Amino acid sequence: MWDCIVIGGGLAGLIAGIRAAERGKKILIISKGLSSLSYSSGAIDIGDVGQLERQTDHPYSLLRQSVVRAGMDYFQKLFPNYQGSWGSTEIMLTPLGTPKETTLVSKMQNAGPLNNADIIVLVAPEGLKDFFPDIIKDSLEKNYPKARIIIYPFKISAFDAWYTLGKPVTGMEYANYWNTPSGIAEFKKLLISIHRKIADCRKNFKEIKKAVVSPELSSSWSKPLQDILAETPFPFIELTAFPPSANGHNLYCALTKKFKSLGGELLLGSEVEFVQCRGKIAEKAIVKSKVSSSAFAARSFVLATGGILGGGIEVTPDSAQETVMGLPLFIPSKWTNAQFLSEQPYTHTGVEVDNQLRPLDSKKEIVLNNVRIAGRMLAHYDPWSNNCAGGVSLATGWFAGENI
Amino acid sequence: MTEQASRREALDACIKCSVCTAMCPVTAANPLYSGPKSIGPDAERFRLEGIEIGTSLLSYCSECRTCELTCPSGVQITKMIARARRKALQNKKGNIKTMPLDVRDYILGRTEYLGELASLMPKLTNILIGASLARKAMESILGISSKAPLPGYGSKLQNINRKINSKKKQVVYFPGCFTKYNDSPTGKAIIKVLEYNGYEVIVPSFNCCATPLEANGRFKEAEDTKRKNLALMQPYAQQGIPLITGCTTCGLALKEYPSFEEEGFQKTPLKVYDLFEFLWMLYQKNELRTDFKEINTSLGYHASCHLKAQGIGVPAIRILRLIPGVKVVELDQGCCGLSGSYGFKKEKYNIAMQIGQALFNRASEGIRTGDFENIACECGVCRVQINHGAKVETNHPVWILMQAYGFCE
Repeated sequence: MWDCIVIGGGLAGLIAGIRAAERGKKILIISKGLSSLSYSSGAIDIGDVGQLERQTDHPYSLLRQSVVRAGMDYFQKLFPNYQGSWGSTEIMLTPLGTPKETTLVSKMQNAGPLNNADIIVLVAPEGLKDFFPDIIKDSLEKNYPKARIIIYPFKISAFDAWYTLGKPVTGMEYANYWNTPSGIAEFKKLLISIHRKIADCRKNFKEIKKAVVSPELSSSWSKPLQDILAETPFPFIELTAFPPSANGHNLYCALTKKFKSLGGELLLGSEVEFVQCRGKIAEKAIVKSKVSSSAFAARSFVLATGGILGGGIEVTPDSAQETVMGLPLFIPSKWTNAQFLSEQPYTHTGVEVDNQLRPLDSKKEIVLNNVRIAGRMLAHYDPWSNNCAGGVSLATGWFAGENI
Repeated sequence: MTEQASRREALDACIKCSVCTAMCPVTAANPLYSGPKSIGPDAERFRLEGIEIGTSLLSYCSECRTCELTCPSGVQITKMIARARRKALQNKKGNIKTMPLDVRDYILGRTEYLGELASLMPKLTNILIGASLARKAMESILGISSKAPLPGYGSKLQNINRKINSKKKQVVYFPGCFTKYNDSPTGKAIIKVLEYNGYEVIVPSFNCCATPLEANGRFKEAEDTKRKNLALMQPYAQQGIPLITGCTTCGLALKEYPSFEEEGFQKTPLKVYDLFEFLWMLYQKNELRTDFKEINTSLGYHASCHLKAQGIGVPAIRILRLIPGVKVVELDQGCCGLSGSYGFKKEKYNIAMQIGQALFNRASEGIRTGDFENIACECGVCRVQINHGAKVETNHPVWILMQAYGFCE
């Protein structure tokens, strides 16, 4: 029997699993597929904690600031290659080169140094899919008017087969290449030739401030690339990528690796059909496997199946349902807002919980005593307009893992 | 499933996130292959309209199922590709079409006949497999790579015929071709462990599980083989006797056997278990013998793709960790590349080696640094490939149990 089964292997579920496994608990994580981290930028939005804490029923108001802070600190302890500090924001670049505020960024995604740059070199590999150097250049010119933007086009011979076939190089293929032995060797050469290029275009080369913007290589996760960049005389900043993304995926891999190294078991590619309960106690997760279903028993459960986009909540024209435990959901009476980019009421759909993250029904009574809800499945927040998706996952995941 | 529902499951569930293609080991090793999303859900839209595109790429899928496991939306991509491949082949038979089907597929699909033949004269067969001249000839005539690690043959695992006896605890053991013809000591070890736990083991004269036939495009023969196995299994299934296998590919295949119900073939569904899945079930019921001796060893464990596809987790790690002194590290480096007979083929040997490179590096690096002493994996051909690529001996995890039970003095 497991101490806890975590259903859902995204950021919240993995943090819960890691923290609990670190505390010596026997944990099984059951995950339908790869988490959406693999198609996210890997940056963590925590949002304005002080303000969100005052927002009625927001997960931050249930758990309080100290827990949000503990979740963030825990994440940075696990991954010291992330930058950002409590109460402040960092800047990263979108795939189209627009600066965006966030809270935690992997080291090489931090676009802060661009503010001072006189020259920004945009690395533009040939044939890279979903990469638009002209648009990025425009956007950098608008946002950093002081800087001159130079596009540095180049070809990579390792992708000759792609060029011949007329097949675009995907972002993941591109990032993976720089982490191979030949990619690492080529990386040094690339940086040297960029350096020359900057030197060629300005005479007072030494005084001017330079920066390089590049498509994602996920160098924050690579020791050899980090070693090379440590000796590079200009800041090197990675754009975030369209999905799937190497930085997001490497964060996912690092989380699963950590979890497994602590003795946790990850069951990937399996869906929990339902959870067997007795009274107010959840007992077994029934997993659809090939022949019959397999039952996995545990003392407690964490439900972190990820809300509407993650598939944890199924929405039909008439209703919305939590798919694994059939838990009651908070569903706002009005679903949408005509202003597309403003706060959308449907995003508040989710499971309501007490301050121990236990699921509540409409009378605010606890539905299942040994179940905690974490991440996007929680009700009462809009991760996009509140900018708090990562923060909620870290805080609730950490809290669940701490209390299993 | 209605056509409408199947369209929904097959197509609309795919949100085009491309995670499958990013994770596909074949795509990473071979730029000519456009990847699971492209020849799966993307091309399916055309196929549903009767337009076949990219059929020459279909045979490059190694059916490792990584795409299905990693898909965040649960799309059955490998199955979609396999269906299309089958259809492309059938079209060829009927009339024209695209995919070459040659003698090699005929041979590689028949692990069972090869095994029967080889076990008549295993020594001679092994000499031939090892002889470079013979291998060069095989490469040029049959397209079987001369560098590929074709497994050696030994004495055949014998069948065990026993009457069904409802008073005894009985299991039926499905050894699979690799264990039966190439590695019978492991088969005997599995039988020993089951017996030690109080089970009488029956080994009927099973045919091949049929995966090699399917992987090599012999769909008709595959279906016939499955029917034979099902008919053989029927009396045991009716008595509720579990079917155990220690081979993860056979296990996956048996778990996915169609019921052929429409023809009155299979009445009782098979209760198929992976060996360690079964042992874990016993453990949970307090029925597993845990009189383990302490063994001070550390293992790197490779979870085969077809184990992962069964959706039962990694029961071998759970069981091995019950043994005092045993440390287990999951290698977690994806597919070994061989994927049945995929990596034996001349044009795919290099792809297979490239796919397995990360695993080989992790295996040899781990042994060198003392991270672990030995490698364990249930899948026979994964073991062959790890041995070939990393030059590290790899054994079935049942051997650790054998030691713990004191059978390997």
